[in-house]
Amino acid sequence: MIDSPVLRTATRFAVPIKVVISVLIFWQGHNLPGGGFIGGVMAASAGAMYLLAFGLTGAARIPWWRVSVVGLLVSVTTGVVPMVRGFTYMDHGVLDFDLPLLGHLHVPTATFFDLGVYLIVLGTLMTIFVELGLEER
Amino acid sequence: MTGAEALLPAIVGLPFCAALIALLAGRTVGARIGVVMPLAAAISFGLALRLLVSSASGPPVFHAEWIPALHIAFVLRADGFGLFFALLITGIGALVGIYALAYLSDLGGSRLGRFYAALTAFMGAMLGVALADDLILLFVFWELTSLTSFVLIGFWYEQEIARRGAMTALLVTALGGLAMVAGFVLVGQVTGTYGISALAGSASLQRTLAESPLFVPALLLILGGAFTKSAQVPFHFWLPGAMVAPTPVSTYLHAATMVKAGIFLLGRMLPIFGASDVWFPVVATVGLATLWIGNYRAFRETDLKGLLAFTTVGALGLVTFVYGLRAPNLDALQILSHATYKGTLFLVVGIVEHAAHSRNLRDIGGLRTRLPITFAIAVVAGLSMAGMPPLLGFLAKEGLYAELLANVALGSVAGLRPAVISVVVVANAFLFAATCKLIFGIFLGPLRVASHDEHDHHGESPGLWLPPAALAALALGFGLAGLTPFTEQLVNDFSSDPHGHLHVALVPTHLAPLGLSLVTTALGAMIYLGRSVVGGWQTALAVAPTMQSLWDRGIEGVTTVATRFSRRWQSGSLRWYFSVILVFTVALTSFTLERGGLSFQDATVDLSNLTWYGLALAGLLLGATYAVVRATTRLAAAIALTAVGFMVAFAFVVYRSPDIVLTQILIETVSTIFVLLVLYFMPAFGTRAPSLGRRAWNAGLSIAVGLVMFVLVVLATGSRFRETRNLGQDYLARSLTDAGGHNAVNVIIVDFRAMDTQGEIAVLVVVGLCIYGLLRARRRVNE
Repeated sequence: MIDSPVLRTATRFAVPIKVVISVLIFWQGHNLPGGGFIGGVMAASAGAMYLLAFGLTGAARIPWWRVSVVGLLVSVTTGVVPMVRGFTYMDHGVLDFDLPLLGHLHVPTATFFDLGVYLIVLGTLMTIFVELGLEER
Repeated sequence: MTGAEALLPAIVGLPFCAALIALLAGRTVGARIGVVMPLAAAISFGLALRLLVSSASGPPVFHAEWIPALHIAFVLRADGFGLFFALLITGIGALVGIYALAYLSDLGGSRLGRFYAALTAFMGAMLGVALADDLILLFVFWELTSLTSFVLIGFWYEQEIARRGAMTALLVTALGGLAMVAGFVLVGQVTGTYGISALAGSASLQRTLAESPLFVPALLLILGGAFTKSAQVPFHFWLPGAMVAPTPVSTYLHAATMVKAGIFLLGRMLPIFGASDVWFPVVATVGLATLWIGNYRAFRETDLKGLLAFTTVGALGLVTFVYGLRAPNLDALQILSHATYKGTLFLVVGIVEHAAHSRNLRDIGGLRTRLPITFAIAVVAGLSMAGMPPLLGFLAKEGLYAELLANVALGSVAGLRPAVISVVVVANAFLFAATCKLIFGIFLGPLRVASHDEHDHHGESPGLWLPPAALAALALGFGLAGLTPFTEQLVNDFSSDPHGHLHVALVPTHLAPLGLSLVTTALGAMIYLGRSVVGGWQTALAVAPTMQSLWDRGIEGVTTVATRFSRRWQSGSLRWYFSVILVFTVALTSFTLERGGLSFQDATVDLSNLTWYGLALAGLLLGATYAVVRATTRLAAAIALTAVGFMVAFAFVVYRSPDIVLTQILIETVSTIFVLLVLYFMPAFGTRAPSLGRRAWNAGLSIAVGLVMFVLVVLATGSRFRETRNLGQDYLARSLTDAGGHNAVNVIIVDFRAMDTQGEIAVLVVVGLCIYGLLRARRRVNE
């Protein structure tokens, strides 16, 4: 932890922005540069910044390894769902549906798989950050 | 039949759902979480029963695609034999679940949650084995039963003996499972299908298989799986070792269900492989040897569960032997008979152990007054085990003897039939004697218990004695039903052989089998009455190296070799790891380039796109790299390395590759944080100048890596490289049409090559969990 009011103030602004951007990067991944991996790394770098500014308090308490396990479950589920509907494992398709506020949505099912990637990258990196940080204490 | 098909995945899936509930809710609900087991078992039992009643027009089949490119499908099929096993698994599962509620009531919730999760998941896996109609699917469920049984055997994991028993059981059955899947793949390669009923029902596929040179290897590999799972000689030793499990587990896994998976597989394979010349000598010999060794050794045991374990080995050998004789119409009768009496006796032993605080016959006796209900139940089951009328065990033994007297295969060699019959009769006599030893030893004579603390004696609660009573009632009921055609109808419907017919009747129609039964009983009574003499002979004849000790020595040897290997290659020196990785990279890349048929003549190094800022960037890169090499502290080296990374990112900006820029910048950021975190633990940098040899090695390796990468890049500019390797073009073209995405890079990661990504992220999760576990454990030790 770096005991600096400047860093803390900057972090308060930067972390939410970084998280929002990471989600945007993840979301636009199918058509523009981005995707689950980069989004996850981005979110983890936001987490790292938080850890540097505030130390191993709030964020360290989150069991990050569970986030990565949930990610693995999400990605495997994405693979299994097509099987139930008579396709093969990991046979992706495209979902088109209309929502009241968001309008027409065009969601490839691969996006859910990518969400799993996002969670795994975030969870694993944060696990390592927190554990290495705890070692140093 | 649409409704019936949908029941199949429900039967198999329900226990897995119950396992999830037990795992999640165990901590909060406490010991009562155990109700998931009997509930799930009862519902699956009901569904299976409905399938049995409704499947008049052929067995229902549930079919879903799995990996069509490899002809592997998720197929469940409910034929008579499969349903028989499903009913056995769920029926006994429900009884064992009720018993376990009473038996394990005084333990913590989270531990019981894990236990019931493993138990219900095991049940689901067993149901999967019973109903799978695809060899690969069967293998997946098969391995799941091995894994869950590992958890269940090692329930008392604080004790070393429990860990050892669990480990041995897992290693033996998993090794067998690997052999088995290799055999399955051979079958699939030769015939082009993994469908079990397809293989069993097609004479032409069987002919293709039989004419292949891979036929015998495939058969032997599959038999390896069946023999290890069903504890056949020489793999029988793991089963007695697994008796360290809690009694409900021993009952369920090691008497009633899991060990029967091996013989179930034999029943499934007999129609496919049975015509082979290899089948009879191998399977019948192994079965007969196992029957003999199991029953003979059982009589020596004084440990109650050990005695039951060895008689189980013997009974499994008997069914294997029956399959070896190609007499599959006997199987359902033998399996049903064994499951009912052996399940009962295991549960009885659990009650006895609770009441007497020991399960060694040397410490206990005369419990008939203290456990009167248990005594009555044990006598019924014991009579069935000893093959006495009117119990089901009697019918099973009569059926066996009738088959031995009439079997065609035994008539092929002169003198074989009388020899085999005498071995079986003597083995069954030992079983009779072992039964007497068990029942009389526990319940007759003066009262002896291991602990005399009056408050500590558990009695017979209904939760404990009702399940064995129900099983014993089945043994009696099915036996008495031999007066009517009911039992005969039942075991013929449930047999793996739909064509043959087995005659079953309580009133003997032929005298010869009855005569053999009488000889068996008389001989058994003599062995029991002369038990001190026979016991002395057995001790004198005992061979020194048992299979268990040979196995332990083998495992020790493997561990020693593995340790030496790891010490050599995993020295802990990062420099050594890095050298190995780089040497292999250089070697593999140059080998591939040499084989690839590329030449420098095709290379078109076009420098017209070169700009002044590109050149400047290259200069900065070189400068930063030099700074890394010349840095005197680790921190300086780390920062210079980060600079190198960002320069590379700029290079991608210049050449317009936004995806890679984004990735490169983020990765550089994160890895810098990593390096800074790890720096703290690193020793001081460059306190001692490296030796000349090491410097020469480093220089040589660096030059080799640089050279190979340079050659690779130059060759990649060649026209032939682009023409022959147009996978990228293909992906670009299909990205939008097939996957609905404009970003081809991402589409490749999450769609076209999603299976690769799946593997990679799984590795990532495991790495994270390992770091978490290792560092936490180390800190706990240090504190």
